[in-house]
Amino acid sequence: MTRLPPQRGERIDRRRPVDFTFDGQRVEALEGDTVGSALYAVGQRTFSRSFKYHRRRGLLCCAGQCPNCLVQVDGAPGVRACTEPVREGMHVEHMNASPSLDFDAMRATDLVGGPFTPPGFYYKTFIRPRRLWPLYEKVLRRAAGLGRVAKSRREREWRTEYRRRHADVLVVGGGAAGLAAAAAAAELGADVVLADEGPAPGGRLLAEGGQDHAREAAEHARRAGAELLSNAPALGAFDGLVPVWQGDTLHQVRAKRHVYTTGVIEQPLLFPGNDLPGVMLSGGARRLVSLYAVKPGTRAIVATVCDRGLDAALALIGAGVEVACVADLRADAASPAAQALVRRGVELRRAATVLEARGRGHVQGAVLGARGGDGHERVMACDLLVVSGGGAPATSLLCQAGARTAYDAERGVFALASLPGGVYAAGEVAGHGELHAAELSGAVAGAEAAHSLGLGDADSRARAVAGSERLSRGPVGPSGVAVPPPVAGDRGARCFACLCEDVTAKDIHLSVEEGYDSIELSKRYTTTTMGPCQGRMCQLPAIRLMAAETGQSLEQVGTTTARPPWQAVPMGVLAGRPFEPAKRSSIHGRHRELGANVMWAGDWRRPYDYGDPRGEALAVHDAAGLIDVSTLGKLIVRGPDAGEFLDRLYPNRLSNLRPGRIRYGVITSDAGRIIDDGTICRLDDESFYVTTTSSGAGAVYEWFSWWLADWPLRVHLTDVTQGLAAVNLAGPRAREIMAKVSAVDCSSEAFAYLDGKQADVAGARSLILRIGFVGEVGYEIHFPAAHGEHVWDALLEAGADYGLRPFGLEPQRLLRLQKMHILVGQDTDSESTPYGAAMPWIVKLDKDQAFIGRWALERAAEEPPETALVGFTLPDGRVPKEGAAVLPESGDGQVGQVTSARHSPQLGQVIGMAWVPAGLARDGAEVTISDDGKRLRARVVTKPFFDPEGEVLRS
Amino acid sequence: MSLDFLVPSTAAVARSPMEREALRARARLETRDGWTVAVSFDEPEAERRACNETVAFADLSWLTKIELQAGAADLAAIVASCTGGGRLELGGAIRVGGAWWCPYTAERAVVLCEPGAAARVRDRIQEAAGVAGGLASAVDVTTAHGALAILGPLSRELFARFTAIDLRPQLTPVGGFRPGSLARVPGAILREAPDRYLMLFGAALGRYVWTVVSDAAERLGGRPVGADALEPFEERVPEAASHA
Ligand code: FES
Repeated sequence: MTRLPPQRGERIDRRRPVDFTFDGQRVEALEGDTVGSALYAVGQRTFSRSFKYHRRRGLLCCAGQCPNCLVQVDGAPGVRACTEPVREGMHVEHMNASPSLDFDAMRATDLVGGPFTPPGFYYKTFIRPRRLWPLYEKVLRRAAGLGRVAKSRREREWRTEYRRRHADVLVVGGGAAGLAAAAAAAELGADVVLADEGPAPGGRLLAEGGQDHAREAAEHARRAGAELLSNAPALGAFDGLVPVWQGDTLHQVRAKRHVYTTGVIEQPLLFPGNDLPGVMLSGGARRLVSLYAVKPGTRAIVATVCDRGLDAALALIGAGVEVACVADLRADAASPAAQALVRRGVELRRAATVLEARGRGHVQGAVLGARGGDGHERVMACDLLVVSGGGAPATSLLCQAGARTAYDAERGVFALASLPGGVYAAGEVAGHGELHAAELSGAVAGAEAAHSLGLGDADSRARAVAGSERLSRGPVGPSGVAVPPPVAGDRGARCFACLCEDVTAKDIHLSVEEGYDSIELSKRYTTTTMGPCQGRMCQLPAIRLMAAETGQSLEQVGTTTARPPWQAVPMGVLAGRPFEPAKRSSIHGRHRELGANVMWAGDWRRPYDYGDPRGEALAVHDAAGLIDVSTLGKLIVRGPDAGEFLDRLYPNRLSNLRPGRIRYGVITSDAGRIIDDGTICRLDDESFYVTTTSSGAGAVYEWFSWWLADWPLRVHLTDVTQGLAAVNLAGPRAREIMAKVSAVDCSSEAFAYLDGKQADVAGARSLILRIGFVGEVGYEIHFPAAHGEHVWDALLEAGADYGLRPFGLEPQRLLRLQKMHILVGQDTDSESTPYGAAMPWIVKLDKDQAFIGRWALERAAEEPPETALVGFTLPDGRVPKEGAAVLPESGDGQVGQVTSARHSPQLGQVIGMAWVPAGLARDGAEVTISDDGKRLRARVVTKPFFDPEGEVLRS
Repeated sequence: MSLDFLVPSTAAVARSPMEREALRARARLETRDGWTVAVSFDEPEAERRACNETVAFADLSWLTKIELQAGAADLAAIVASCTGGGRLELGGAIRVGGAWWCPYTAERAVVLCEPGAAARVRDRIQEAAGVAGGLASAVDVTTAHGALAILGPLSRELFARFTAIDLRPQLTPVGGFRPGSLARVPGAILREAPDRYLMLFGAALGRYVWTVVSDAAERLGGRPVGADALEPFEERVPEAASHA
């Protein structure tokens, strides 16, 4: 146990023990611990195995920035142990190692495979022989990836809430600068949200002795009215939308102004053995000590390029760790921290760095010396190697928001160069690292953001200007940093540039040799920066290596494009709640009760059948059937110019339709292609009731609205699709059934085919259209959707004695096929004109009114189509697939295709529709259909299969 | 031929598109103005608590909805005539005589009222349209939209779960009317009172919207409540804060 005596500001509660298991073993932790701190406290040093070589990895940053501590928690893979709070009873397991974390069989890839597995080896190795690819794929898929998603759905799914949050100002980052920005903006009246990835506001202050200050600053921001979100990393910046992931909530923050105070990311150093457990960033070591009172080691060596490492050495000494030596790359390190170390008798080697870490399974010693080696190297024993490569500004989110960076040679990092409008940066990311400057820069940025929204007054503006001037006068940046070499020590040895993807310095060398000599290409080839750390630990080292390999400057190499997500995030978090916006007719519940099999039809849920499609179709011919057609698009077109409006939209004439009469219409695009069809009933001189296909309803409404916006016509359009239910009652007994539910005279004299009448049906005021899609005498009854079940029930009850049965979409499709009615989108495609679809009669080129598609249809009329839609019968009884090819009489290729085919129990044969060469569009012609390689001879039919003259329909 | 076939009739049972969901949640139904209305659920105390402490939702699909279309000047004249001088501005509704007048555009608005007041509102619109003289149409779209009242202190939190419409008071004050995407489908939100909203959506999506709202409300400690749990409006409050 390495738990220290109480530390000031520690997050743990020593009175509240928490138990959990790690790989089945019970672990005692304390409330406030993370999984990582608790495991470290009980002596665990290996936390994971690396992605490719299965090397041991231990805690590095203790801040959720690297890939080293990924574990599986309660079945969820990819959880960072160092930031995951402990919970009583939680089950933590290692990932990516088998059979155990300590003995991992796949470690062989490191021991023997290393030289044979350079970047891209799988592109080159697993391509031959081609037939083995399925096997390769299986093996590779098993070997690749980290962790396993639980098999059982219950374990796999967890709930994530979406929470849309609008704000005036979003502050990203909850350190000193962020808290100051939030407070300043909120005090000026802005609605402020602050998103911070840390467990509590305060950032570095929490681990560096500034806990009280952090608490006060957070309290100040809260009192001013800011909403502070902790454990809430921002995932990306999307044109003003910033998703912030907080546990089981995904906040979608839309703010008018954005202040980024994302700080810097402490960089590792590159040297052979830099991935050994026991190599830890200075910030990680300090967090273990300050936040969790865990002693990170007994004897430490510190290698640094700036004061961070020196401060860490002092903190370690304070925690009782022996600091054997501090290697500071700066030749002239003389800061107060350096002096303090010397006073304590610590050996401080200037202009020195770590050249190698040694040990088996854990750091046992380090080689220190001048960069590149000068013959005075020294090997020292240690069990903790603390490194600090300085801080790289965390600019990814800023760059996603449109900021630009430029290389700062003095600090050796890419620093902010410009910001887009509405975006502000403060604190260390903007170069203000010292506490007072960070807070001042935050306050200025927060105030400026609020001012830009019209908040504040002359005084606040003056204060912001003064603050800004003070900042520009004050020291910028850290007190002094040495730029580390791309690799210290033996460059040929194993040192890792990218810990996530196991990419070594040598791999980058090889990628350049192979021609991937730009940072973007190298990124794709080696996958550097594409792992869970998202470039935090590896972008800068990779750029330095690339510069060294190509001889370019770092400025010339540049950075890779910053892309979301900035933080690795489970897909389930992005997916949201699993609800599908399905439309249902008002009769849907009844269909379910009647045993309907329900299917998707566009965005509707509709009955496919009620279990007996054949019987349902026959009932329509023998007695009567009832189908719910509420999904049809329904539009009211009203106004003095309504007739002209429709004449302009349809190729046939509608302005001469008499009130109470119905006409069929197809809608054509300006290219003369069929885009929808339906019926039009004239209600009165100025009102039409237009129906469309179910799936075309929305598009037709938009199409009509679009043209109406352009044409100066006195017309109003109302979409009543969802407001009206509609059912089609059809069959030889339909009239008798109607007589039982309505007073309307349904005799063929009083209510002829293509008449529309308004009357009560079962007490519901309805529009009754005498039309027939299914070939029998039919009444399409449209009425307020709220009466759906009432009217449906009444009709079924009235028809019970007449053999009335409900029927679904499948029998309807068969019935309409018998009548050779087209289904737009199934029997037609984007190239079908009314001429090709055997409907030349619907195009009235002689009408005075110009209409959409006229020009194209005039040309189509002059040039007969090459293919035509016809019916066919198939004597051999096989039902070809929809889409089956129509073959030429001789030779290869395809000259048409089957669009619909069914076996008709009524007709006792297989019938269908197909596009065939126009020359074959005559009764009795024979065509060959290829269905799954089998050739079928079909006979062409040009008139409906059932009731070709429409006598039944009109009777 | 008139457009009467769009108007629900009192001679036939009218049901909300969410009636089955309400029944599953153990609603008690009563017939009112021809509609079966979920008047209460089985725990009056829980309903009261949800309204006052968390969030509650009530099915008001039976509200009459009339879509009014006219040229901008004519629409303004009709609204002014029917509301005693009221003026519609985009983003804000006005409430007069128990009816909400909610503008979608300068040329299209929806009027919401109790079924009992529908005939009176319709007549006034006809009359005003006649005086305005231009082309105007009033179409009953009652059954085209489902309607849910959302009330309680966590109402805005509930909406935040499924819509990006900004309901902060500075953008959506009482009387604010905000058409937009609700749970990924078209709809609109009317803020009727500080903690009370009415949301409109396509009737065919009733079951889906109920599922989304109920799922989010449950998570926030809320629940469905009956129409009787809603306090009657104090006409004065929203009118004073309206855009009239
Ligand atoms: S040690 Fe946990 S992410 Fe770095």
